[in-house]
Amino acid sequence: MTLEELMRRAGLWRAGEAPLEGGLSTGFSVLDAILPGGGWPRLGLIEILTSQPGIGALRLILPALAALSRLPRWLIWVAPPHRPYAPALQAAGIDLTHVLLIDRTEASGPTAGCVPRAPPATLSTCWSWRRAAEGEFWAFEQALRFPECGAALWWPAHLEALALRRLQLACEAGGSLGILFRPVECANQASPAALRLSVQPIVATPEVQVRVLKCRGSLRARECRLFL
Amino acid sequence: MNSVENNTSLQALIAPLKPVVRLHSRSAPALCVQPAASRLWLAIHLPRFTLDMATRGNTEPQACVLVDGQGTRQRVTLVNAEAARLGIRIGMPLGAAHALGEVLPFMRVPAAEQQALAQLCAWAYQFTPMVVPVAPDALVMEVRGSLALFGGLAGLLARLRRELRQLGFNALAFGSAPTPIAAIWLARARHSTPVETLAALPAALSQVPIDVLNLTPKLQQDFCGIGVRTLGDCLRLPRESLARRFAPALLLELDRALGRQPDPRPAFKLPQVFSSRIDLLWEIHHVQALNIAMERLLSELAGILRAQVASVRGLRWRLYHADGSSSDYPLTLVEPSADALHLLRLSREHFLRRSLASPVRGICLEAADFEHRPANPSGDLFAGRQGSQGGTETWPRFVERLRARLGGKALQQLTAFPDHRPERAGDTQTFDGTRVQRAAASGPESSPRWRERPLWLTRQPLPLPECDGRPNLDGPLHLDGERERIHSGWWDGGEVARDYFIAHNQHGTRLWVFRELASPRGWYLHGIFE
Repeated sequence: MTLEELMRRAGLWRAGEAPLEGGLSTGFSVLDAILPGGGWPRLGLIEILTSQPGIGALRLILPALAALSRLPRWLIWVAPPHRPYAPALQAAGIDLTHVLLIDRTEASGPTAGCVPRAPPATLSTCWSWRRAAEGEFWAFEQALRFPECGAALWWPAHLEALALRRLQLACEAGGSLGILFRPVECANQASPAALRLSVQPIVATPEVQVRVLKCRGSLRARECRLFL
Repeated sequence: MNSVENNTSLQALIAPLKPVVRLHSRSAPALCVQPAASRLWLAIHLPRFTLDMATRGNTEPQACVLVDGQGTRQRVTLVNAEAARLGIRIGMPLGAAHALGEVLPFMRVPAAEQQALAQLCAWAYQFTPMVVPVAPDALVMEVRGSLALFGGLAGLLARLRRELRQLGFNALAFGSAPTPIAAIWLARARHSTPVETLAALPAALSQVPIDVLNLTPKLQQDFCGIGVRTLGDCLRLPRESLARRFAPALLLELDRALGRQPDPRPAFKLPQVFSSRIDLLWEIHHVQALNIAMERLLSELAGILRAQVASVRGLRWRLYHADGSSSDYPLTLVEPSADALHLLRLSREHFLRRSLASPVRGICLEAADFEHRPANPSGDLFAGRQGSQGGTETWPRFVERLRARLGGKALQQLTAFPDHRPERAGDTQTFDGTRVQRAAASGPESSPRWRERPLWLTRQPLPLPECDGRPNLDGPLHLDGERERIHSGWWDGGEVARDYFIAHNQHGTRLWVFRELASPRGWYLHGIFE
């Protein structure tokens, strides 16, 4: 196959080509300003890599999730590390009637009282980057393929490149956003995701540094500082 | 019950319309009520019914025979295609059949046969409201009124043939005649040319061998003795002597077959539950091997549902294990469905997440509580079809598939409730899927004005070690701002008495921690702000 033939293939994406449609506003003007299309891509995988759990990765996409839930499109959370807290999500503008949790560990019913357990040594241990349980990948992929799903969120520790590719295709088939929260160690792994970001806290400030590792389209800057 | 009435009233509605349609045809039509003579009965004879019942859950061809008799006098009474290929013939001793090849013998179970035939009649009800079972291996139905819908007799036969194959019945013989008995005889004699009028009936029947009468061996011998081999020979005998020398019942049957005597048949009563079972020839260890049996049972159920314009809210699969035990797998649907393909997809997901505890010898499908309304009440004629092709999936189907695979409790919804206790203010509840619960999520205006709340709540408060009066997690935590005291719930047993603080660790992660007011005043982690 000659280079010209290759260039004519529809499935080929060239770096520097702007995405066709405008992006979904992130809710942070600084971040909108650097992302191609002026916001999150409308569909595809977004990988958010963090060095520490709980430093704002979820808050980064919260405005976009709120906008999606009011369209209304479904927000499907697959096996979140902790229970998403309804009052805080509501305060952020998310329509709870369009939030679905897929979790086999969460027991229903109020869990009152404190259960004495061995204290967690670090936050990372109580923030379980656990191995994906059976059925989680399947559920995440099904959610992405479901046309009424706006965004599906998942916290897997380890994923094969092939699995990522499958998820990216599922996003394109369902027209949905797949948001993966992963540890920063995964940055070295090749990924077909539409957008990869890393989020790191800046010492002694309440701000975080957002660095774009990969995106479709041209960037105006590689990183920015955000107050989440 | 209900649907029987519905169907007959539907017939009454359709009947007056017929003359209008026929006005366009040239020949002068019979305008008024259909006379009995213009009925057309279609008989379906399943010559290998018992064997097909026994082998239809099987994926590979296997020679099977039906045997009758005791001990060494066991004789083959029915063979399937594979057994016939080995050279096994009806009437052979079982020992001789075994000598010809590997063959599985079966015995008749009349009760099971009867139930299966009734099930098949219920399935055939989708083609006409007048279905009559004819034990042991045939059914007959009045189809004159249904011909236009199914594209004439040829169209109806093609469809029956195709759908009966799906159910696992490959050996089929059809016969059609103006009387039910004649139709059965023609089917048994494999006389497939339809006989449309009473006048043509004697000629068509005259060539049919008397074997189709299912006579007793004694009578058969008597007929043989006087040289009567076909129904034609039988009809030529004087009526009085036929009644005297043989059986009076036989004369009545012949008269009914020729339409000389009325032959009223009680209409088949539709069962309101479905239960059908397939026994497997071998023990099965993998779920995948159950696929074909599941497909057959579901298409049977779908036919019955179509017949009754009904849908089901749930199914129950029962697996019969080799050790005699059985296990049940109930499957509940979010939305009533009558779509075999959708139910099959769901059932596959349902079984996929389990491995078989012990080898399986049989599978049974049960369904009750038929809902007598179309499965797609939204009125969109094509919505269901699109869904079944996997084009656009509807929300209930999506939820059903997830539930079938992951279990009913895996799907949850978030609920916000105006309560001061953090666990109650934001809880999860199992998502039943039937509809989005508006009440569960009240607007923020109805909840008390809270201070900032974390995005994550730990499923249970996690105890933190204390060091110098401060909680520790990745080193000592810094408490920011003022404490928030939550003391509530003493009235309902879920008492909470805590001082909440916002804390941050050395990496800047903000945490929601509390200290119990009661002794021993332990520190706990309860939320993460992000």
